[in-house]
Amino acid sequence: MPALLEIRGLSAGLQGRRSITQVVSSVDLDVQRGEILGVVGESGCGKSTLATAIMRLLVPPQVLQSGSMTLRLKDGNTYELLELPETDLRQLRWRHLSYIPQGSMNSLNPVLRIERQMTDTLIQHGLSREEALKRSIAALEMVNLEPRLLDSYPHELSGGMRQRVIIAAAVSMRPALIVADELTTALDVVTQRQLLQELAGIRDELGATILIITHDMGVVAQIADRVAVMYAGKIAELGTVNDIFESPLHPYSQGLIGAIPRAGGHRVEGLPGEAPSPWNYPAGCRFHTRCPHVIDRCRAQTPALLPQGDGRWAACHLYEPEVLSNA
Amino acid sequence: MRDLLVVENLQQVFGGRTRTYAVDGVSFRIPEEPAIVSLVGESGSGKSTIARIILGLLQPTAGRVLYEGTDIFTRDRKWNRKFRGEVQAVFQDPYSVYNPVYKAERVLKLVIRKFGLAKSKAEAQALMEEALRAVDLRPEEVLGRHPHQLSGGQRQRLMLARVYLMRPRLIIADEPVSMIDAGMRASFLNILLDFQERHGISTLFITHDLSTAMYLGGQIIVLYQGRIMERGQTRGVMKDPQHPYAQLLISSIPTPDPRKRWEEDLSAGPLAEVGPGISSGRDRCLFAERCPAVMDRCWGARPLLQAANSNAMSEADRDVACYLYQ
Repeated sequence: MPALLEIRGLSAGLQGRRSITQVVSSVDLDVQRGEILGVVGESGCGKSTLATAIMRLLVPPQVLQSGSMTLRLKDGNTYELLELPETDLRQLRWRHLSYIPQGSMNSLNPVLRIERQMTDTLIQHGLSREEALKRSIAALEMVNLEPRLLDSYPHELSGGMRQRVIIAAAVSMRPALIVADELTTALDVVTQRQLLQELAGIRDELGATILIITHDMGVVAQIADRVAVMYAGKIAELGTVNDIFESPLHPYSQGLIGAIPRAGGHRVEGLPGEAPSPWNYPAGCRFHTRCPHVIDRCRAQTPALLPQGDGRWAACHLYEPEVLSNA
Repeated sequence: MRDLLVVENLQQVFGGRTRTYAVDGVSFRIPEEPAIVSLVGESGSGKSTIARIILGLLQPTAGRVLYEGTDIFTRDRKWNRKFRGEVQAVFQDPYSVYNPVYKAERVLKLVIRKFGLAKSKAEAQALMEEALRAVDLRPEEVLGRHPHQLSGGQRQRLMLARVYLMRPRLIIADEPVSMIDAGMRASFLNILLDFQERHGISTLFITHDLSTAMYLGGQIIVLYQGRIMERGQTRGVMKDPQHPYAQLLISSIPTPDPRKRWEEDLSAGPLAEVGPGISSGRDRCLFAERCPAVMDRCWGARPLLQAANSNAMSEADRDVACYLYQ
């Protein structure tokens, strides 16, 4: 079955006075129907820019540079997201593509009741008031909120409840793809667990696909099916959650997994050095400045994201056939 | 045994008509010998308020904080100065503590000057370089730079270098790693462990992230709505929590291992979050409405923090505020 979303060669950057600073560089990624795909990486690695680019919501100075994104819906309709005019995009967003940006639980309008904020969007998408209300109640139930909450103002709700309202709003049109950026970052662990489990439940109930963007390796380990590890604007490795955590291939994934503080009384070392900012991405492999296995070719040549068998992909010269045969 | 810091029945009530109990009868101690004590709880549990009181930034409504036996709020100037030198703070945000117009090393220079740590410029320079190396920073990557040229992890370690210059006895660290990258967290925590092991510096580590507390070891205090629910050795509490709240909290840690996923689906359970304002009346267990093991007793009076009386547990150093064990 073809992927729900097929991203090819997607590049996005920041428009400067004279040139564009590339933040996300030729990302290739297939988001499979019905999966929860976790995108992880350190801050500044471009994961939020990738999410906004998928939604076509980049705002200046952010600019899309190149690439293609194909959305294939179950009803047979195919959309080339990068070629759609804004008017069509507006119809697509929320109905088929839903986005929960970082910190969105603080974006509810403080002077409007929840009902108004949830139904407005639905009415905008052509639903009647009654239908919109019915959908809103159904959506709140998916995140275990009572319908009476519709009468509340945002300040009457806890952080976890506000985040649930946002999730409910995002799924009320039963979208095919939900992009959630740092969904649980500001919440305590119990609420985080409940929200993530609710999100997984929504995936099962609606058959939706979820792209979850986070810096928290624990979160992806708990709910993702597959994981894309991003470093300096590129995908370093892609694989099933078990593969990535148990036998990471890319030295960056290895470092990231190895740097997780764990119980057991033995120390782990952090990743040495700092992630480069888009203004000074190194030439060749962008990880070569911090990589313990660096070889000459890493400084000169950018490794491509290549299949490593069993649906696993890695962008590292160490796993290229000619390097492997020399070793 | 004398204690370095004793917190006694601390209470902090905010607001007038609707009173908010940020901290409600909290007592604990940090021993004389170097130790790491983690104070964990969700937002609103009162952990930062406790930190602010211990630092002397906030006068508590009731209760005392004793440092080496002296109440920190009844002190003279000389004592005050000693206290300020020996108890150091590291805050959450490694961005807002710096003045952006000065070079980053000013935080080190000010300490050297104010506390007269060096006699000459060369000596000050040597001190700064030593302090930077103690926190795994290379002097050349920090000195002469402005704060915005450093990463969050570097800035936060620079705060530790500043602390190191003072050689305090106690660090109050309020969510120090929540804004630094995953790759850098372990290194920051390792520095705190080094401080304890090599330099005899204790840390009161305040966090909502149980996995970092678990990594640090030492002692743990679990707070809920301003009260201590459970206290004990971190490893023991993490392995075998007694209080139903601690059990819920610890079982909800997102373990970074896809083979150890959460077993039970909490999303529709009785543990659903209670909205603010719903819990009224404090003469009871505050966790009662979410507790799967709630009994009639729990609504009647506040359970006190007592040594756990449980056959299942052989650990001596454990206190629980729950009627299940009393």
